[in-house]
Amino acid sequence: MLNKKSILRIDDLTLDDVAKVMETADSFTSISKREIKKVPTLRGKTVVNLFFEPSTRTKTSFEVAAKRLSADMINFAASSSSLKKGESIMDTLRTILAMQVNLIVIRHSDSGTVKMVDDNTPVPVINAGDGKHQHPTQALLDLYAIRSRFEKFEGLRVAFVGDFLDSRVARSGTRLFEKMGMDVSLVAPSMLIPEDHSDLNVYSSIDDVIEDIDVLYMLRMQFERQDRKFYPSVREYNRFLSLDSKRLARMKKNSIVMHPGPVNRGIEISDEVMGDRESPYDNILIEEQVTGGVAVRMALLYLILG
Amino acid sequence: MIEKANILSKADLRRVIKRISHEILERNRGSENLVIIGLQKRGVPLGKRIAANIESFEDKKIRFGKLDISFYRDDFGKKIKADIEKTEIDFDVTDMNVILVDDVLFTGRTIRAALDAIIDLGRPRSIQLVVLIDRGHRELPIRADYVGKNLPTSQNEMVEVRLMETDGRDSVILVEKEEDVK
Amino acid sequence: MDSNMYNKILIKNGSIVDAQKGNIYRGDLYIKDGIIEDIKDVIEIDNKDITIIDAGGLTIMAGLVDMHVHLRDPGLEDRETIESGARAALAGGITSMVCMPNTSPVLDSPSLIKYVIDRGKNTGCSIYPVAAMTAGLEGKNITGMGLLSEAGAIGFSDDGKAVADSKLMFEIMRYSKQFGKPLILHEEVRSFSEHGLMHEGKYSTKLGLEGISRLSDDLMIGRDIVLAGVSGARIHITHISTSGAVEMIRKAKTDGIDITCDVTAHHLFFNDSHLESFDTNLKVKPPIRDVRDQKALIEGVADGTIDAIVSDHAPHLDTGKNTTFKLAEFGTIGLETLLAASYTILCRNKKQGFEKVARLLGSGPAEIVGIDGGIIRKGMRADIAVADLEAGYTVKKEDFRSRSKNSAFIGQKLYGKIIYTISNGKIVYESGLN
Repeated sequence: MLNKKSILRIDDLTLDDVAKVMETADSFTSISKREIKKVPTLRGKTVVNLFFEPSTRTKTSFEVAAKRLSADMINFAASSSSLKKGESIMDTLRTILAMQVNLIVIRHSDSGTVKMVDDNTPVPVINAGDGKHQHPTQALLDLYAIRSRFEKFEGLRVAFVGDFLDSRVARSGTRLFEKMGMDVSLVAPSMLIPEDHSDLNVYSSIDDVIEDIDVLYMLRMQFERQDRKFYPSVREYNRFLSLDSKRLARMKKNSIVMHPGPVNRGIEISDEVMGDRESPYDNILIEEQVTGGVAVRMALLYLILG
Repeated sequence: MIEKANILSKADLRRVIKRISHEILERNRGSENLVIIGLQKRGVPLGKRIAANIESFEDKKIRFGKLDISFYRDDFGKKIKADIEKTEIDFDVTDMNVILVDDVLFTGRTIRAALDAIIDLGRPRSIQLVVLIDRGHRELPIRADYVGKNLPTSQNEMVEVRLMETDGRDSVILVEKEEDVK
Repeated sequence: MDSNMYNKILIKNGSIVDAQKGNIYRGDLYIKDGIIEDIKDVIEIDNKDITIIDAGGLTIMAGLVDMHVHLRDPGLEDRETIESGARAALAGGITSMVCMPNTSPVLDSPSLIKYVIDRGKNTGCSIYPVAAMTAGLEGKNITGMGLLSEAGAIGFSDDGKAVADSKLMFEIMRYSKQFGKPLILHEEVRSFSEHGLMHEGKYSTKLGLEGISRLSDDLMIGRDIVLAGVSGARIHITHISTSGAVEMIRKAKTDGIDITCDVTAHHLFFNDSHLESFDTNLKVKPPIRDVRDQKALIEGVADGTIDAIVSDHAPHLDTGKNTTFKLAEFGTIGLETLLAASYTILCRNKKQGFEKVARLLGSGPAEIVGIDGGIIRKGMRADIAVADLEAGYTVKKEDFRSRSKNSAFIGQKLYGKIIYTISNGKIVYESGLN
């Protein structure tokens, strides 16, 4: 029902596909709200979660999605370190295919691995995140969340804030949002953007965009990553890139704040804005993103295996 | 498609629906605990018309819902398109007498899926089936409680129901399928 | 005279140096309430409370701006403090100083920048701190340049070392653009300079001292020019010592790189032949190089390739210098001899115009670091130095106000004595008095 067999990156989806996913997700949202959150649609189908990188949220989200469609879900947690690159992924793939599965959801720490897998199997593949490359399902669920708050996409101003260089979420998101006619910019310091950023609209401080933006998308910032980050300190980050209640107060009415999760409190978003069990501010959409995530993933499974 | 016969005219349709509406009230002794669920997509306007009739006879509002059974079909994977319509049932079906409405009853598989869908929503006291046309060829043990017209057909015939709300006119005709070119 | 009492000063009949316009003219200068109130051929004011300075035969110039100074405060206060450094500067006609971050602790946090600024107030000298580019000067992690700029840092430097990690240097350059402050770069390749003590040349061989090749400077300068070209950063190469440096910087400027540079007074004044005496006060980094390099540096001043002259004032205790050449610390003090040494070598010796030299000691460096200073004009803050350029004297160790006495110029005959230094309209130094 979708234009391509697999979803590896945003460009695999046509505008029509995106519209279908959004509408179908609406149906699944209502199913997730009722008492019996299950439909028999994918009964007898087997979906494999092939995760080479640890994940709780995305993995669980796919699992819930598959189970609510009555599909069987297998979790295959492979660890990259115990596998040699390349060859062993193929062996793992052969083993899985020998079990007659209907769909593979895969996450890997190396960009492009997902394509390699897709090239070597007739079974549909969904990219749950490959290295720093793409995370298309995240972009779709983000779009779904935006859709729930805005009448139309055309002309909406979105800003991604933070570590663009390492973010597959930002890459997929930028691609999808631009496709839908949104105006995408970036707030990031020099060391978190590529040397050649001629195709991006870049600001160096969140204060530059806070009053005009419709969607503020905070990216995760990890100070402890192995690959060199060069960013000086948390305090410097707070000064130029963090969202706190003062900045939140300056945002437009009806604007929203998003984050792919999990939030590093005190770094991307202040403790005060995050709140205790939930945010005291109603334009923080983080939990809604997660809820929508299950519906969107259900829609994808439905549209691919149908 | 070759048109073979005119089954119901616009006026016939009106009378049949009126008759069925009365039958429903008779069998259920009024509209207490009655709800109507129309099956997408033509069961919905049909169901609405029945609901309107009942409301005018009983002078009481009756609850109406729409059901899409795409997720409950058993021919999943073999379909060519996925046209998911809305399921909008904003009341509890538990303890209700559900009047399920569809336009044509054929193999019975659609109704089987509808039964599963309704039971996932609650525990109705009863489910009664209204169909405009019963064309035979059941593959499952399903039968309608209220039938507009029984119409024996052959496998290569099709019953085409058109309604004002969905298609701009009211008619029911029998057509013959042309040779399928594979 | 109690300098605090007088807020009206009339300086009469001096040679006023307009370094910006590049001319020197006879005239009177009137200072009132900290501002240059008037400059004219002749100013007559009828007022009892004016201090009148007869500047006949003297030169009136803007207070000097020294953009490379090491004040060992915090951490090594026995060598120099912010206060003692200021006193020494004022004796040298210097009214604005830029101090380097290699203190202990290193100036890599906003609170330390604020400390230096605070301590600098009320010393009579305007003191501007430079913050470190990397935390602890370790060459590993970029400092919080945004917060440091906001705390008052006027530039960034790892002076004392270069950042060896080229990728890191590149990211520092890219990040610095966000804040518009210059990067002041000390250029040295450790693998070339590691055990070196003086310039690698005929004299190092003759004296049996390990040499530091020109490659140590040139390689790093070449690298940083390339990085600056790609990143678009604003860089300043400090204390250049080689002819290669002058050539590369000259070319970089014509290529449109946003680059400036400075040279120390001692690199202009001396060449490696002067080290025959094994005088440890001439042990500096980068080393004092040979005649060819010295000539190129002097030409660089003449043709405008070099934008500033600095002291690289590096105080060391006697214990640091009274030892073998190998073990002696690197560095010479220079605040008090900055003007005299520059004037003597460039103007007296090499016959360059003083108005040009004055610019390299005033508005040149001021512009580079973005501070006020170096300009004599009506309405500007009255930071003035009055000097007797013809007065010659032999530099003596006892004459220094700095806490440390390690001057390369001890025993040299220099011309150019500071008679008065006026800071913010107050006389803060008068020669002959303490």
